[in-house]
Amino acid sequence: MIKKSDDIANMISRRSALIGIAGLSTFSILAARLYYLQVTRAEDYKVLSDKNRFNFNTVLPERGQILDRFGIALATNKQDFRLVLVPERVNNIDLALERINRILPLSKPKQKRIKNDIRKQAKFIPVLIDEHIDWPIFSKLNINLPTLPGAIPIEGKGRHYPHEGVFAHVLGYVGKPSPSALQQDNDTLLRQPAFRMGKTGIEQSLDKNLRGRAGRKKVEVNAIGRTVREWDDDKIPAIAGRDVWLTLDSELQTYTASLFGEESGGAAVIDVATGELRTLLSMPTFDGNLFVLGLTNEQFKKLDTDPRRPQFNKVIGGGYPPASTFKMPVMLAALEHKIVTPKDQIFCSGKIHLGNRDFHCWKRKGHGLMNMHSALQHSCDVYFYEIIQRLGMDKVKPFAEKLGLGQTYKLGLGGQAKGVIPDPQWKLDRIGNSWRTGDSLNAAIGQGFVLSTPLQLAVMAARIANGENAVSPFIVVDDETPTLEPLDINPEHLLFVQEAMYAVCEVPGGTAYKPGGLGIPGVEMAGKTGTGQVRGISANERLTGVLKNEDLPWKLRDHSIFVGYAPYDNPRFAACVLVEHGGSGAKLAADICRKVLGRALERDGMTGTVEPNMVGDN
Amino acid sequence: MSNHTINRSLLAKLADINWLLPVLILLIGMIGVATIYSATDGSWNLGAKQHFVRLLVGMLLMVLIAIIDIRIWYAMAYPGFIVALILLLGVEFLGVSVNGAQRWLDLGFVRIQPSELMKLAAVLALARFYHDLPYWRVSKPIGVFGALIIVFIPVALILRQPDLGTSIMLAATGIALIFLAGINWRVILSSLILATIAIPLFFSYGLKEYQRARILTFLDPERDPTGASYHIIQSKIALGSGGMSGKGFMEGTQASLNYVPENRTDFIFTVIGEEFGLIGGLSTMALYVLIIGVCFWLAGEIKQMFSRLLIMGLAITFALYVLINLAMVMGLAPVVGVPLPLISYGGTVMMTVLAGFGIILSAHLHRETELPRGSGLLL
Repeated sequence: MIKKSDDIANMISRRSALIGIAGLSTFSILAARLYYLQVTRAEDYKVLSDKNRFNFNTVLPERGQILDRFGIALATNKQDFRLVLVPERVNNIDLALERINRILPLSKPKQKRIKNDIRKQAKFIPVLIDEHIDWPIFSKLNINLPTLPGAIPIEGKGRHYPHEGVFAHVLGYVGKPSPSALQQDNDTLLRQPAFRMGKTGIEQSLDKNLRGRAGRKKVEVNAIGRTVREWDDDKIPAIAGRDVWLTLDSELQTYTASLFGEESGGAAVIDVATGELRTLLSMPTFDGNLFVLGLTNEQFKKLDTDPRRPQFNKVIGGGYPPASTFKMPVMLAALEHKIVTPKDQIFCSGKIHLGNRDFHCWKRKGHGLMNMHSALQHSCDVYFYEIIQRLGMDKVKPFAEKLGLGQTYKLGLGGQAKGVIPDPQWKLDRIGNSWRTGDSLNAAIGQGFVLSTPLQLAVMAARIANGENAVSPFIVVDDETPTLEPLDINPEHLLFVQEAMYAVCEVPGGTAYKPGGLGIPGVEMAGKTGTGQVRGISANERLTGVLKNEDLPWKLRDHSIFVGYAPYDNPRFAACVLVEHGGSGAKLAADICRKVLGRALERDGMTGTVEPNMVGDN
Repeated sequence: MSNHTINRSLLAKLADINWLLPVLILLIGMIGVATIYSATDGSWNLGAKQHFVRLLVGMLLMVLIAIIDIRIWYAMAYPGFIVALILLLGVEFLGVSVNGAQRWLDLGFVRIQPSELMKLAAVLALARFYHDLPYWRVSKPIGVFGALIIVFIPVALILRQPDLGTSIMLAATGIALIFLAGINWRVILSSLILATIAIPLFFSYGLKEYQRARILTFLDPERDPTGASYHIIQSKIALGSGGMSGKGFMEGTQASLNYVPENRTDFIFTVIGEEFGLIGGLSTMALYVLIIGVCFWLAGEIKQMFSRLLIMGLAITFALYVLINLAMVMGLAPVVGVPLPLISYGGTVMMTVLAGFGIILSAHLHRETELPRGSGLLL
């Protein structure tokens, strides 16, 4: 059956029409689909489109500053110069790094780290070349920028601690949040790579105040996350952290640190009326900036192996035998319990015999006849050996505690040591055997089990000086003024102790007597020396002659301790200075404390008859 | 047969070309230039300029092809097919891989994509096959299997590259031509039954893993929102956010922020949809329908089997480009890598399509030229 060509042509036309109709129908379906997507569901997709398009980037707030009482910054934020490189704008990474290296020297490990970063990240993400760049190098980089394609100099903010570490222990330092901090704290800030949180000190205890609140900015990003532009709507500015004001006087503390020199120890200066700390110093210090910038292995090793333990906050965390400074609570207890009257005399032969042991006075030849007043003035040990036997250590403990020993304070600083005020129960619990009279004798002169921190001793001096209130130390200027508890010690007894402490400093024969005293005419002081023994002296050594401190290795030398306050007649400041292994308390610690108290009074405007600027450092 | 239409001067020939088609093509091509310009954030050098140059060169080539005598195309149908087949085999053994698919053949001086060439060659060969075949043999084994060999040997080779989109287009064009050539309904019905059995088998054994993944993703786009289905979801978002009248030229965010991958090439319709909305999208589609309609109309003016099937085949190929691409972009078909002809950036497809239109115009221009029937293999 052969069809005619016309029939064939018609057949093709028919079938062409069929295909055409099929094609048109398909186009119609597509048109309907387009209508569905673009009109029916337009709103849904518009939302999805915006979700695609916008990112909210976290904006870091500026960390609050930490200021001293005069508003001088102790912890601040410093411009930090950084250089980053955008790999996608560089043809030859090696060549680019070589060019940068000529201006900004990059160590081999650093170059390796940079190349590693470049390999790991998308090529448009800037890679950090170096941070904390010196200004001269940074400006050189800026000038040479045209020859450094892809390099971007950035000025950021980094934590900075001026004052060369004098406040390191108080302030602490900031660092990257630890994994445990991330677990406990849901703040988005902690998840920001550039965020630093307080790790120790005030930085840590007031971190929530200092860190501020994260802001956000709306940025338009493309599919691979590159920011295309910023938008002003929906922007939430970051709220800067609150500044923290401290009660410290930065100049006084810096001065105190300079008096320590290379010595190790701690010092606290406290306002007798309020408890404000004007100085809270632990020596030697360390540079908190090192922790912000990242310690090198070498630096860490040096800090960690220094026998003077720079990282240890001795002034609040170090437990030392208070030595003879502990004689004040013993005296107060003896007066309260009427063990002796102030006039009763006791003979000091240089030692007493108890059981099969001799207990020596610091003065081998003995003080002769001593009453309570002269016993404190000359710091006679035998006098206190005698009265503690009649008194018992359990009677001393409440007075030590009333004066602020054996406890921690609401300082807002971590790392406070409680210290030890021993009694029979304490020894049974901690050591496991019963109290002996010898323990009392040691405790009476602040040796043996007794431990206190320099801050506690300063508080003790402040409370003795204040006489009415049990002042508590504080360091952060807060909205609420701390309430003062009554001291609850017989004022007559206190006056008696004050007079004895006056004699220590201002009457010839006193262990800390120095003609001229504070160096401020008309201003007198009171105080007490202490020489903290860190080694036992054997009977044999006593026979052959006790070794002088200078002949001992540093670690075995006595701690030099001094507590005091001034002016005597109208107390303003109390202080404690403890120089680790500094020898006799009458020397190093007393010298430093005198100067510090003198400077504190000058700076407070209480300078007697002399104008502040005319007073020297002597 | 009037003599003057056969021995025309060059100018007369040029005048006789159906100029409606080139004008429509130029229009669509210019839409392409503008869209690429917008998709590349307003840059001439990232494709727009090249697209424009290619369009002009391609259209010049189209006119050149149009004035070549149809007898030459008729004579070259089988040799061209064999050359294209050899090149396809060349890809199989010597091809260059781009994006995991071996589609390119590096001839030293030029890199070509033989599968594109085959789109033209197979239509030419099939048109000649039916032109030479007496009508009564169309549904006989020689007719059926001859046509199937011409269609499915290249389809199988292209599928191996693998290039699912081109395979589908070639197979569909071939089947449409077999249908147009007058195969009887009994054969069509039995083929359909056969196909319903064969397709699941093909799906399991004939496809590469990523092709299967794409089809599965198409069936369930939420399956893998960042992987293979990312294309579909993001392009739907781009289209959907355009709304009725679009965000305006150069204002598209999805496309310009590179959320829609390959928005210069396969997914360029999303840029049009986002920036010009439903109105722009439908207008573009209407232009395509118009071009295809003109081609059908041109085919209808011709009595000769070769020229008629040739125009129909090439027009159907063009229509399939458009339909598959749009269906893909709108989430109605799997992502098979078929560009939107004349608008998508890409030189090879542009040349193929414009050469195809050249042949269409030639077939129409020489519609009065008598073609021999059943003459030798080469001439």
